[in-house]
Order: sequence, then structure tokens, then C-alpha cells
Amino acid sequence: MNGILIIIGKLAVAILRLFKRNAGNLPGIVLWHLTGGKCCKMFRVSCPIIAVTGTNGKTSVTNCIAQLFERSGKKIIINKEGNNLDTGICSLLLRHCSFTGKIDADYLILETDESHVPVVYSQLKLETLVVLNFFRDQLDRNGEMETLIQKINGFCKTFDGNLLLNGDDPNTARLGRANPNNKNVRYFHAEPYAFATKTIFEASEGRFCPFCGEPLEYEYYQYSHIGKFKCGKCGFGDYVPYITAEKIDLEKPVFTADGHEYSPKLNSIYNIYNMTAVAGAAKLYGIGHKITDSVISEYTVNNGRMETFMLGDRRTTLNLAKNPVGANMTLRVMNEMRGEKELLFVLNDNVADGLDVSWIWDINFSVFERVARVITSGTRAYDIAVRIKCSDYPAENIVVRPDLDDAVTELAATDGRKFVIANYTAVQPTRSALKRYIEKHGGKHE
Amino acid sequence: MNKIKILHMYADMLDLYGDSGNIEIISYRCKMRGIECIVDKYSIDSEQPDFSSYDLIYIGGGADLEQQHISEDLQKCGDGITAAYKNGTFLFLICGGYQLMGKHYRDADGVDIPGLGLFDYYTIAEPNRRKRCIGNVVIRTEFTGKTVDIVGFENHGGQTQGVKTPLGSVLYGHGNCTKSSHEGYFEKNVIATYMHGPCLAKNPELSDYIIGYCLDRDSNEKTVLNDLDDKLEKDCRQVMIDRLLNK
Repeated sequence: MNGILIIIGKLAVAILRLFKRNAGNLPGIVLWHLTGGKCCKMFRVSCPIIAVTGTNGKTSVTNCIAQLFERSGKKIIINKEGNNLDTGICSLLLRHCSFTGKIDADYLILETDESHVPVVYSQLKLETLVVLNFFRDQLDRNGEMETLIQKINGFCKTFDGNLLLNGDDPNTARLGRANPNNKNVRYFHAEPYAFATKTIFEASEGRFCPFCGEPLEYEYYQYSHIGKFKCGKCGFGDYVPYITAEKIDLEKPVFTADGHEYSPKLNSIYNIYNMTAVAGAAKLYGIGHKITDSVISEYTVNNGRMETFMLGDRRTTLNLAKNPVGANMTLRVMNEMRGEKELLFVLNDNVADGLDVSWIWDINFSVFERVARVITSGTRAYDIAVRIKCSDYPAENIVVRPDLDDAVTELAATDGRKFVIANYTAVQPTRSALKRYIEKHGGKHE
Repeated sequence: MNKIKILHMYADMLDLYGDSGNIEIISYRCKMRGIECIVDKYSIDSEQPDFSSYDLIYIGGGADLEQQHISEDLQKCGDGITAAYKNGTFLFLICGGYQLMGKHYRDADGVDIPGLGLFDYYTIAEPNRRKRCIGNVVIRTEFTGKTVDIVGFENHGGQTQGVKTPLGSVLYGHGNCTKSSHEGYFEKNVIATYMHGPCLAKNPELSDYIIGYCLDRDSNEKTVLNDLDDKLEKDCRQVMIDRLLNK
């Protein structure tokens, strides 16, 4: 039976390729139906599997961990396109397996959607699970966040492989208590950086001890609810970190972990956490500083994450924000910049965004400084306009342009520095609209 | 008296889908009209406030775990909130806040959380966590005396039954139960609803009904609120109504 299923799956891949279509998900969906939802079960994987999950940073960390092994001369398979549901992982394995379902690789490195961790790894044996953070994100697809954490926690109760957890996120660190018999639980941690605060800066969740309900005590907050926390009552949060990022200096940017100084390209605290997770994985697998250093110092992204466009001579920075944390980060960067600037906010509510856009109310717009004008666009252009207006920003400085090309033209109509924030499905259309503007009116895409 | 006093309860625990935005919106609309708006917060183990001294008590929604955490504390406030309600304080309740003012709430694991029993309705959560009422919702209301269609976003497993005076009839979405005909609960000084979004974002009539009620609570005169420029809010709502009802 397995053999037939695999042939059907491979056929689906071949047909899609023939029509030059991306076989990222569809073959897996076909097999999902044929197997009654157990589409990953028919593969025979004898190599270790490393999975990376969490709300933010999955793609970065998965790619970097894959690089660690690739540069160590290992043969790896990775879901690069971010097809991170069970059907996407099934499609990936279909492309790489033999007709008997055997996978030939040294390591499988899989970015895995939070809600699909129990689904996929009840079918495939997992060696290491890296959990980065849990934020409100696409909540309406998954039900409430607590349900999501409960699902992964349920999986961790019987998991005795390596768990590498963000020890500064109470939502993540709690998984370390799921299976008291698991001796392979490790935490990564970061010392405070220059902008760490004593009180919480952005609206967030996870402020109470999940075990006894007491408010958590924080020594410092790095951003949102991420920071050094402890429950005064039951001691939750009191652990010895496996790896710690210290001497963090985002100006350069540098940080030290495990006695080695790293110089990443991206200068955000979010990236420091991601790279600390990468260094933790390297340590776990005995990969030396030299290789780790090369991976961390070269890693950069170019897909709407702090991407620069020149609209004529007007410098424009585009950043993806899937949730309040990402948006607040861009606002911080924007505010730290001198002079006047304008903001274009593109908000969509397609299925992949989560149909709900209320997360924009958790963005702290009251921090706006020297923002001369705001333009809004996307399928929910009006929602973001109302939200910004109610944060006490002058309504007469808000321009609503649901059509993206109109919005970019409007943004480029004045001089000065520009910022663009776009949510998940809005990022690629926004990039295209910016590029169209440049083609027509001049400028540069860096 | 050009002032309203608001008690925002459990703001640190019950704040799903932008619920705290409702308070930001009320404050904003008061500020634009020169009405002083005082917002006090109450959370678990805060000192018991004089509930009746507030014009408005606001409670948002939370996940099951958070609702369990606050339920015991809420019982301690039961007498105070009941007295305030009878004394004419306005209750504005979203999702979890709505559920917990009824008789009881049975969560998805079958655990009963007692409500304050202020109203006759009760809520039973759908045991299958996948079967939730999720999505945009449009309801037709008459609370201002005129027909107003309002738009929000619902996400609840709870099925609320026994509502005698709903806030509105459902034009799109689920409402109090899966595919039900009505949404929310209404009395002259109570608006309870499953609508997040936050609820007031594109429904200025709702905000102004609450503000107007609060201003007139202690007087026999009817305050006429001066109009604000609500073009963005109304356009926002119309875009959604047109899309959802295929106009």
C-alpha cells in the first residue's frame, strides 16, 4: 500500500513540475486525503530529525541550523520554501524519497508550524525540537494561544528527545516541565541589551505563572513578554541556561555566546535570540565555533524584512509585521531615526493572515514621533486607519488608499524618509508595487 | 457633569483580540468632546473598589485558563458589581466578561466556572475545540431607537443560551450559539457581546450610546453629544458590510 501511495505522490509532483507549478503543498494534500490524515507515516526515515517551531523566527533558525550541518559536510534535507504544515513536509519527503519511501540524508531539518508539531512527530521520530517563542499570531486559525501551547505540551509529555527552549519566554519555557523524566531539556537565554526595560513596553501575553497563576516577576524585559522572569511562588523560570548570549551590542552588532564573540548582520534583539538558538543547536551537535561563526556572521534575509527601496531619491524601508511584536519593532526603529518620516501600513485579512485584524490594537502607536503622514492600504486599509486615528494621531494626516499602486504613489509624492509595514500576505504585493513604481519613475531596489 | 469614571476589570488577563482597544476608543471620543474620562484598573487581589461609584464597568474576554484564574476573584466582587448594576452603573462586557455575568460557564474540558448570576443566560463551551464560532459578524440592532448594523469579529467556543433580550439579530456570522439568530445581551445599562475587533472600532453609535448613558446617569436631562467626524469608522464598517453581505 505504501508503495502505491508513494507512486501516486511522486506522480503528482512530476505532473505539477511538468506544468511548471510549485509542488510545495498539493501532493501532500492528495496523500493526506488518501491516508486519512496520516500523510507523513509512510516514509522510512533513519536519520535524525531536527524541528524548529515558534511564532517568529522559524525560517531564519531553520535555515541557519541547516547551514551548520551543510558546512560540516553533511547531507541535509530542509523545507526551504517554508512549507511547514504536515502536507508541506509530506510533499518535501515525496520529492526526496525512494520508491520504497526511504529517505537518504544525514539530517532532516524541518521548520514546523506550531499547530502541526504533534501531528507530524506522532508519525515521524523526532530527535530535537527547538522552540523559539509563542506570540499571538493567526490566533483564529489555531483557536486560542493556550490551546496551541497545550497541544505542544501534550506532545512534550511523552517526548524524551532534545528540547531546546527559549528560557526567556514563559510560554515556551513551560514546555520544559511537560515530561519530568526527560533529561534532555535545555534552555537558551540572553542577558539584557541596551533597550531592555524594567516594566513591560508592549501589550503581550504570558504574564502569569502557568503552573500556579501567580504574576511572574521580571528582572528585565527585552521586548514584549520576553525577558528574565521567575515565579516567586513555585520557582518556574529558575533554571541553569545551556547557552547564554551576553555582551550584546546592537550598534556593532555583536554578542558573545559560549565564550565566542559573534558578529551577526542583522541588528535586532530578535535576531540575537534566533542566533543564540542556532549557537545552542551547534553546541548540542558538537559543531565548532568556526563553522557556527561563519553561519551566524553571514546570515541575512531579503524578503521584506528590513528591505531597502529607493523611490527616486527617497529611502524606503519595508518590514514584514505578522503580529504586534513585529510592528512594534519597526515603530521602534522608525522612532530612533531623526527627522520627519512617513509611514505606509498595508494590512490584509486573507486566510493566511488570520481573518482577524484586531491584533493591530495591540500595537503601541502612541510612541509615534515626527511622523508627518500615514498612508494605509490593503484589504483592511480602513481598519488600520481607524486604529491609528484612535491612538490620538491627527485624522487629517491619514490617507486611505486601498489600492497598493495608488498607496505607493501617494507615499512617494512627498520628500523625506519612508517606512512601510506590511502584514503576511501583503508583503509580496507591496514589494511588487514598490518595484513597479521604481521601474516607472526611477530609483533602486537594494 | 462632564466626566465619566470607568473601571476596567482584569485588563491584564482578559484582553483578547484588541479588547482593551474599546477603552482607548471611549477615552478618545471623550477627549475629542472635552469630557473628562477617568480609567481605573482592577485585577486579582486589588483592593475592593466602590463599584457603584463608577459609571461604567468593563470586562473583556480571555482564554479558558485565564477565565479560571479570575473566576474565584470575580466571586469576591459579586456583591459589589450586582449593587453597582442595580444602582445604574453601565456594564460593558465582551466574550468572557459576557459569559461570567450569566449563571455559569462550562469550559471545553467540562469544568464548571460559576458566573455572578446577574442575568438568566448560561454558557456551555463546545467540547470539540476545533468547532469554534470564528469569523466576522454583522448584526442588526435597534438600541439607539434607529436601525444600526454593526460589525465585529467573533471567536468563541461558548454557546450562550437563555438570552431573552439580545443586542441584535445576526445578518452574518454565528452570534450567541453556532449559526444562531441572535447575538449578545442588552438592557438599557448593559451591553454584552461576543464581538471583538475591538467591538467599538467601527461602531461609533455603540461608543456614543455608552458615553451618553454614563453622562446622564445622575441627571434627568438628556445630554446631546456633539458629532465627531466618523467618516473613517463608517467607511470601514461599510466596506465590511458590503463585502460580507455581497452588496
